[in-house]
Amino acid sequence: MERIYFNNCLTSKPAPEVIEITTEYMKNNYYFPEDFNTMGTKAFFKLEKAKKTIADSMAANSKEIHFTSGGTAANNLAIKGYLTANSKKGTHIICSVIDYPDILTNAAFFENSGFDVTYLQADNEGFIDLDQLKNSIREDTILFMTTFGNHTVGTIQPLKEIRKILDRSEHKIVMHVDACEAYARIPINVNELGIDFMSISAHKIHGPQGIGALYQRKGIVLGQVQHGVNRMDNLQTGGLNIASIAGFAKAVELAFNNLEENIAKIRKLSDYLLNKIESTIPDTLLNGPRGDKRVPHNINISFDYIEGEAIMMMMDISGVSISTGSACASKGLKPNYVLMALGRNHEQSHSSMKFTLSRYNTIEEIDYTVEKLAEVVKELRSRSPLSN
Amino acid sequence: MQYSQKVLDHFMKPHNVGKIENPDAEATEGSPACGDQISIFLKIDPETNIIDDIKFQSYGCASNIATGSIITDMAIGKSIEEAKKITWESAADALDGLPAVKMHCSVLAVDTLKKAIKKYEIKHGLAEEESFSKKTIVEELRKIIYPGVGEDIVTLKMVKYVGFENGVATIDVEIPKFDKYRDNVVEEIEEHLEAFDEIKEVKVTI
Repeated sequence: MERIYFNNCLTSKPAPEVIEITTEYMKNNYYFPEDFNTMGTKAFFKLEKAKKTIADSMAANSKEIHFTSGGTAANNLAIKGYLTANSKKGTHIICSVIDYPDILTNAAFFENSGFDVTYLQADNEGFIDLDQLKNSIREDTILFMTTFGNHTVGTIQPLKEIRKILDRSEHKIVMHVDACEAYARIPINVNELGIDFMSISAHKIHGPQGIGALYQRKGIVLGQVQHGVNRMDNLQTGGLNIASIAGFAKAVELAFNNLEENIAKIRKLSDYLLNKIESTIPDTLLNGPRGDKRVPHNINISFDYIEGEAIMMMMDISGVSISTGSACASKGLKPNYVLMALGRNHEQSHSSMKFTLSRYNTIEEIDYTVEKLAEVVKELRSRSPLSN
Repeated sequence: MQYSQKVLDHFMKPHNVGKIENPDAEATEGSPACGDQISIFLKIDPETNIIDDIKFQSYGCASNIATGSIITDMAIGKSIEEAKKITWESAADALDGLPAVKMHCSVLAVDTLKKAIKKYEIKHGLAEEESFSKKTIVEELRKIIYPGVGEDIVTLKMVKYVGFENGVATIDVEIPKFDKYRDNVVEEIEEHLEAFDEIKEVKVTI
């Protein structure tokens, strides 16, 4: 049996169409656009087309898109680029305790370099505290950062409301959004939401690994983060990943051609998975909000009395890939910090399992998974002193 | 996670899982908060002091379950004197090794077995309760594994000072500031030492 894959927030299977176009570019269209001849000119127009596809998907302009080596590089370009170029305007930044590590480690880096950071708390569903946000804004606040669709529990932050709060300030507060989990899973219009910077990643939406992009609102200055040969513009130095850019644009095209349909399909699958788990397995606890307040592909659920790494290993042996928030499976042997910030206790965090689905999953795969999961949970509970 | 086939075998089909009703001794170590807990139950022949039956229950990861399985296999049919000689290193070896970050599971399982045997010995007048001293603290610290290497923090000379006065245990440990296991080691020290009634406060400096 083929592996059943529910770790799409880690990386996702490249679409066949993406593989096809990427291979084609590596074979026949590897030319750099700066090559001032027929092939280079062709490459230039193709690159512009790819940019436009990505820009259109979020109602942006092509000039506002910069390619990066992935979501983390995009986050670094936005945060480091903005803060180094604008520190004269202020040195206070706001993010939250449940943000993606890219945001948190950058916040810590700037905290060590003399910036002040306010870390907002979140409620038990993973929504950041907007009252605390209101009270945290200062004259020297220049940047607000958030993880649009939370990477652990999928909570979709209310960006419109956040933008309104930020706009009450007399000076401009820039909003940077890590949208690697939300992009192509919910409709995003950067203008309606008032997003100034947004990071996206190709390999999370069935594109190639090693390519991402940063949306940068026109008129907002970013400092250079990486110096070097200027191939596209001074924010994108070094060689271009032409084949992957073409694959990225194809992945975006595939996702957005049928966006509503894709979203509905994944939502239906994840609703089915959650209902099936909750009706088959006793003593479970959903982490994060229900329904459309979370990104459609994420289900995070804790199983009482047992530990997540053991569940993960047994499911892996049964051919199903899922992940866990248990300390035993983490590099630093710590329970998942997002779940702990949501008020879950150690046991609930250790027993949490995260399923992230894609449009390639099927109802049959979910039926098999829940059947195996019920057996695994029953077996591990029979060994546990906590349930006996 | 790179587990040996033997770990996977014992994890998938563990031996001696369960409870013994009216055991001659039992012990539970670890806590769900730390992510692993193990209970061991013993049936011991009072004439020969041989372990006739042994069972375990585990809340924990694959290596926790596998170490519970292997040490119960190693102890069954042995005299308590022999069973006391089982070390966490020998248990890990019997599983064809454990990843360094998982060595603490082996320590927990072996420690639980030793605690159960000790309870039996005290109950049957074969041993006396040990009086608490600084030595007890050092012995407890030997059960804390530095996950980066898979050795205990005393052997690794990470413990620089141990003090005990008026119920306050003072421990100095040396861990580089950038070490990802820094918080983990400190938490482990606190959890291990706070379990002693004699210790009212644990002060760890790094």
